[in-house]
Amino acid sequence: MEKILKKAISIKEHLNEQYIEVARDDFRETCRYLWKEKDAILRLMFATDERKINGSFKVHAVFSISGMDRFLIIVLSLQEDDLTFPSLTADIPAAHWYEREIRDMFGLHPQGHPDPRRLVFHDSFPSRSYPLRKDWTLTESDAKEWGDGMIEKEPYRFMEVEGEGIYEIPVGPVHAGIIEPGHFRFSAVGETIFFLEPRLFYTHKGTEKLFESMDFEEGVKLAERVSGTSSFSHSSAYCMAVERMMGIHLTEKAEAARTLLLELERLYNHIGDIGNLCAGTGLAVGYAMGAVTKEKLMQLNQRVTGSRYLRGVNLIGGVTQDIFSHSDDIRSTLDTVTREYKDLMELILGTVSHVERLENTGVLSREIARKLGATGVTARASGISDDIRHVHPHLFYDRLDFEANTLAGGDVFARMMVRAADSECSISIMRALLEGRYQGDLAVKTRAAQPYSASLGYTEGPRGSIFYWVMADHDGGVFRVKLRSPSFCNWPVVPFAVHGNIVPDFPLCNKSFNLSYSGCDM
Amino acid sequence: MIKEILKNIIRRKQAIRFPEEFQVPPDEELEIVDLEKKIHAIFKRSLMIRMIDAGSCNACESECAALSNPVYDIQRFGMGFVASPRHADLLLVTGPVSRQMELALKKTYLATPDPKLVIACGDCARDGGIYKGSYAVANGVANVIPVDACIPGCPPTPAAILKGLLDLLNKLNASKPPRH
Repeated sequence: MEKILKKAISIKEHLNEQYIEVARDDFRETCRYLWKEKDAILRLMFATDERKINGSFKVHAVFSISGMDRFLIIVLSLQEDDLTFPSLTADIPAAHWYEREIRDMFGLHPQGHPDPRRLVFHDSFPSRSYPLRKDWTLTESDAKEWGDGMIEKEPYRFMEVEGEGIYEIPVGPVHAGIIEPGHFRFSAVGETIFFLEPRLFYTHKGTEKLFESMDFEEGVKLAERVSGTSSFSHSSAYCMAVERMMGIHLTEKAEAARTLLLELERLYNHIGDIGNLCAGTGLAVGYAMGAVTKEKLMQLNQRVTGSRYLRGVNLIGGVTQDIFSHSDDIRSTLDTVTREYKDLMELILGTVSHVERLENTGVLSREIARKLGATGVTARASGISDDIRHVHPHLFYDRLDFEANTLAGGDVFARMMVRAADSECSISIMRALLEGRYQGDLAVKTRAAQPYSASLGYTEGPRGSIFYWVMADHDGGVFRVKLRSPSFCNWPVVPFAVHGNIVPDFPLCNKSFNLSYSGCDM
Repeated sequence: MIKEILKNIIRRKQAIRFPEEFQVPPDEELEIVDLEKKIHAIFKRSLMIRMIDAGSCNACESECAALSNPVYDIQRFGMGFVASPRHADLLLVTGPVSRQMELALKKTYLATPDPKLVIACGDCARDGGIYKGSYAVANGVANVIPVDACIPGCPPTPAAILKGLLDLLNKLNASKPPRH
């Protein structure tokens, strides 16, 4: 660590965040050192347009070292005369999407990045147009042409596989089932997938730019709508970022309520996902059982919070409702759900034809998961014991006893079993939380943010770690909100997991990751 | 033979009874039972739905998927979700229509045979919802393809989606099938 701090131009501390600004020549080496020597995890990378404040763009790379509740944020300033920065991708493959995103959104070029194509924007989006720059506008004709999709302003070349007997199968963006849009291009040899290239960002809605037009309170509503089935995790991470930035502390009661609802969200997602896997193998009974149990949990959500997706509960400074007044209802529903969950698992594990389809299918190696920065269930099923609730304890998590469930298999079965273990953990956490009595009001008063203050917020959602980074402008309004959903980290590993599997197993592999398109596309 | 038919009728009536988890106010329950009769009158056999996500946050899809679970069991009303627009009578569109989905939505609409209906499902699909005004959305389905009805809600519950379908069918005249 000394080595890094010696090179720093400036160091700024804020709670468990350490902002280390380095010179351009040291940027790559510093990040490489953290990644290779310290085994740090790249949590997120983002840029800001601070030209109006200090005349520069800034690139931030957020690392955290396992076992240390501390974020090391390596900052690089770029002056307007040279809008390039050294690409980290060659050393840290996990940086490859972040850097392409920064290029699309800010026009800052990662020098030495192996992939020159756009990531977020499709062919008919104007060239040299960077939405997250503060002075950016989109003309009406450009917007229309973008929507029409007829003029290719920057054509996208799919990677091609050549050879005898290789053929391409294009799928999407409109899929056969009730799922979100995305395009997949398979290069197959007979039935076997040789190569898969996903083309996403069909649901790009300009969320980060939209945050900048709202105030921090309104932003909660938008955060809830980034990824529907992770509404509560997203809004919790967002609120946490804003609260840390404003320097306000939640009451015990609000912390307990948030923790409980986070676990409730995890539980309904995991049980639904386990059931959905059965749909992938034709085990209709298992699918129906999972769906009914999930429905019961959704209805519990509705009774407890008034929303099936736990929306409208979070606000900056706390929660809107006293969910502990529904303790008995939650407890009795949990009893039913536990019973049904056990029946479901008994059915699944007792059905050899189902389990056989899951085992050794869609194997994701630990090495690839680590290199590409996978998170959540995906990472833990491939032997990487990384759970934000453990590494960076927040809310009530440091006072609770639970495991970061990790398996080594990396296949569809391992991902299902991690979900199962997580579900059991969530049930026991909720039961433990319901036993306690908590002091304090539901919410505390908010404060104005200091000019240009910034902070991270994070939590472990059902799909993995969720990060928000917020920054205030000169009078406490929103200057920048960066969001990083777990799907953004996990999408790049999917092609590696399906390589060598047969095309009919792709839906099964895809379901085992259960990634959000909307969360990834922002 | 007649016995068999009678048995079937009785079985049908039983099938329409709602499980206790299906939470609909009692007066609406009757209307939803009507849904099946209306579908039969207008579409002769059944109503096939193609669901298109045009940039929603996935909550609306999640609720549409819930319609197929054993609690709501949409097939008992003679409705079902189909895999191709070519097989569909009705397009159920969610999301504010992100710019990058506009073309795909138009193409899917054109691929659906006439006569066809379009429902904008959810607040985003109606007018953009919370995403209204963002540079990357078209502020609602009606700005891209013709829409016959809207179902409000963020997201609308499965029961609300059923009710929305019924409201639309109520508006249709059985002798005049929908046309665009």
